[in-house]
Amino acid sequence: MSTHIARGRIPVTAVETHYPTGADVPYLVEARHVKKYFPIQKGLLNRVVGHVRAVDDVSFGIRPGETFGLVGESGCGKSTLARVILRLQGASGGEVFYEGRDVLKMSGSEVRRLRREMQIIFQDPFGSLNPRFLVRDIIAEPLRVHERMSAKERDERVVELMRLVGLDASRRNRYPHEFSGGQRQRVGIARAIALSPKFVVADEAVSALDVSVQSQVLNLLMKLQRDLGLTYLFIAHGLNVVRHISNRVGVMYLGKMVEVAETDELFRQPLHPYTAALLSAIPRPELNRKRERIVLAGDVPSPANPPSGCRFHTRCPFAQARCREEEPGLREMGSGRVVACHTPLQ
Amino acid sequence: MTEYLLRRILQSIVVLFLVTVFMFALVHAAPGGPTHVLLGPGMSPEAMKIQEHNMGLDQPLPLQYLHWLKDMLTGNFGYTFKNHIPINTIIWPTVGNTLILMGAAWVLSLIIAIPWGIYNSTKTYGISDNVATVIAYLGFAIPSFWFGILLQEYFSLKLNWFPLSDMWTVGKQGDIGNLLWHMVLPVTVLALGFLAGYLKYSRASMLEVLHEDFVRTARAKGVPERWVIYRHALRNALIPVITVLGLDLPVLVGGALLTENVFNWPGMGREFVEMALAREYSVLMAITVITAVMVVLGNLLADILYAVVDPRVQLGKKGGASV
Repeated sequence: MSTHIARGRIPVTAVETHYPTGADVPYLVEARHVKKYFPIQKGLLNRVVGHVRAVDDVSFGIRPGETFGLVGESGCGKSTLARVILRLQGASGGEVFYEGRDVLKMSGSEVRRLRREMQIIFQDPFGSLNPRFLVRDIIAEPLRVHERMSAKERDERVVELMRLVGLDASRRNRYPHEFSGGQRQRVGIARAIALSPKFVVADEAVSALDVSVQSQVLNLLMKLQRDLGLTYLFIAHGLNVVRHISNRVGVMYLGKMVEVAETDELFRQPLHPYTAALLSAIPRPELNRKRERIVLAGDVPSPANPPSGCRFHTRCPFAQARCREEEPGLREMGSGRVVACHTPLQ
Repeated sequence: MTEYLLRRILQSIVVLFLVTVFMFALVHAAPGGPTHVLLGPGMSPEAMKIQEHNMGLDQPLPLQYLHWLKDMLTGNFGYTFKNHIPINTIIWPTVGNTLILMGAAWVLSLIIAIPWGIYNSTKTYGISDNVATVIAYLGFAIPSFWFGILLQEYFSLKLNWFPLSDMWTVGKQGDIGNLLWHMVLPVTVLALGFLAGYLKYSRASMLEVLHEDFVRTARAKGVPERWVIYRHALRNALIPVITVLGLDLPVLVGGALLTENVFNWPGMGREFVEMALAREYSVLMAITVITAVMVVLGNLLADILYAVVDPRVQLGKKGGASV
C-alpha cells in the first residue's frame, strides 16, 4: 500500500482495485461494474447509431447504517445509477448486490418484494405524488400492496407515519396540491419509510426546496436515520448539502465514479482535480478571504461520445499526455479512499 | 356542486337564448322564402302579400321571434309551411333515428378505441400500435361519403351481404334484426371516423401520464404494473379524453350529413338538408335549438365528469383549483 505524503503532483503507484474496499463491515448495497447505456435512435427505421453512456462501469459500496453521498454535475449519471440500483431501470451490464443477492438478476415478483427493503425519495415534490390520490392513500398504498392490514390498521399506520415526518395527521384526507413543497416532500418521505425499509435512496430529495425548508428536511432525514436505522444513498449536485449529512462521499463525472472518500477527508484534501474544482465552487460566507477558485473551462463533453482516456482530461488543469490515452482505474489511496486519476492531488 | 350546477345552467340558458336570436336572424336573412317555394314563380305580388300575412311573415322580425319563442318554450316547434304538419311529429323520430345510428357507432368506437389506445401506450411502436396508427390515419384521411360508397359497392352490390341503404326493408319496420342488418355499413363508416380520433387521444393521453414522476413513484412502491396503469395512470389520462367525448356528444343528435345522405338514413343530417332547401324556417330552427341544447349539455356533462375524475377541480368552491 502506497502512502505518499509528498506534496506536489507526483504520479503515485497504487494498487488497482475492482471496487472500493477498505472497511471490515460488509456492504449492504454494492454496485460492481454497473453500466447503463441508452441507445440513440435515428431515421425512419430507428436504427441505433450510438449509445449515451449514462453510467459507465461504476463500482462502489454502501455500508449498513451509513449515508453515502453521491455528487456530480447534472447529467453525470447519478440518478440513473440510483434507479439501476433500485432496479427501477434495467442495467446494460454489471451487478448490484443487496445483502448478497444480485438485484439485477431478480424476477419481477422478487423485485416487488425488494421494494419493502429499498425505497426512494424523489426530487420533485410536485410531480412525484399522484394528484388524484388523497395523501392518506399515497402513504398507505405501499402497505396495501405489501402488507396484510385491515383498513383501520392502515389508517393508524398512516397517522403514525405522518406524525413521524412532522405532518399534521388530521390533513390526511386531503390532496397533494393542498400541501406546500416541503410538506409534500414529507409526504414522499412518509411514503418511502412506510414499509420500514433498510435502504433509502434520496434522489436530490431537497434540491427543489427553499434553503430554509431544505435544512428542515435534512434534519428530518437524519432523525429518521437515527430512529429507524436507515442506510441512505444521498444524491445531490452540490457538495455543501452532502457534507452536512454524509459519512462517505462519491464523486461522479460523466458516467464514471472518480473519487470515493470519507466526507471529512474529501473536504480536507480532495485527490481528484474534479473534486477539488467542485469544492472550490462552494460559496463560503467569510469576509476578506482570498480563495483560489478553480474554474473549469469548457462544457461537459457529451456522454454519447466521451473523451478518450480520462474523461476529465478535456477540462482538467493538470492533464498530461497519458491522460488522453489511458483511462485511469479506481485505485486505493489508503484509508478506504479511492480515486480514478493518474496524477492525484496530494 | 349544487351552486356550480345552478350557475352553469343559468349560463347555458343565456347561451341558448343568444343562439336562437342569432339563428333566427340568419335564417331570415337568407334569400328566398317559403312563399316563393309555395306559390311558384308566376305568382302575383298581391298573392304573395296575402300568403305572407297568413303565415305571419309580414310582422316585424322581433315580433316573429317572440311569437316563435313563446311556442317553443311550451314545447311546440310550430308547423311546416308546406303541409302544415306539426314539427314535433317530424323532428323527434328523426332525432331517434340519428341517435340509434350515431350512438351505435360512438359506443362501438369507444369500446374499441379506449382499451386499445391504453394497450398501445404500454407497448409503443409495436405491431398493434402500428396497426392502430394506420387505421387512425385512414379514418382521418378517407372522406366518409367515399368510404360509404366503397362499402356499398363491395358489400351490397357485389357480395350482396348488406342492404344498400335505408333503415328498414319495406314491410319489416320494427324488426330489430332487420334494423341491425341495415346499420352495419353506415355504423362502420361512422365508427371509423370516431375511432381515428379516440385511438390517438387515448394513446397520447396515457403516454403522457405514463411518463409522469408519480407513475415512477408508484413503481418504486412496488405497485403491480396493472395497478400502475389502471389506478394511477388511467385516472389522470381520462380528463383530456372526456373533453373530446363531451365535445362529440352533440354530433350524436346532430347527425352526419354525408353518411346519412349516402345511406338514405332518415336522420337529422338528411332532414336538415331537405328542410333547408324547402326554406322551412321552423324546422331549421327546431334542429338548431336541439343541437345547441346538446352542445351545451355535452360541455356541462364534461365539466361534471372532470370533477368526478379530478379532485382538484372543486366545483363551486372558491380558491379550489390551484396548480
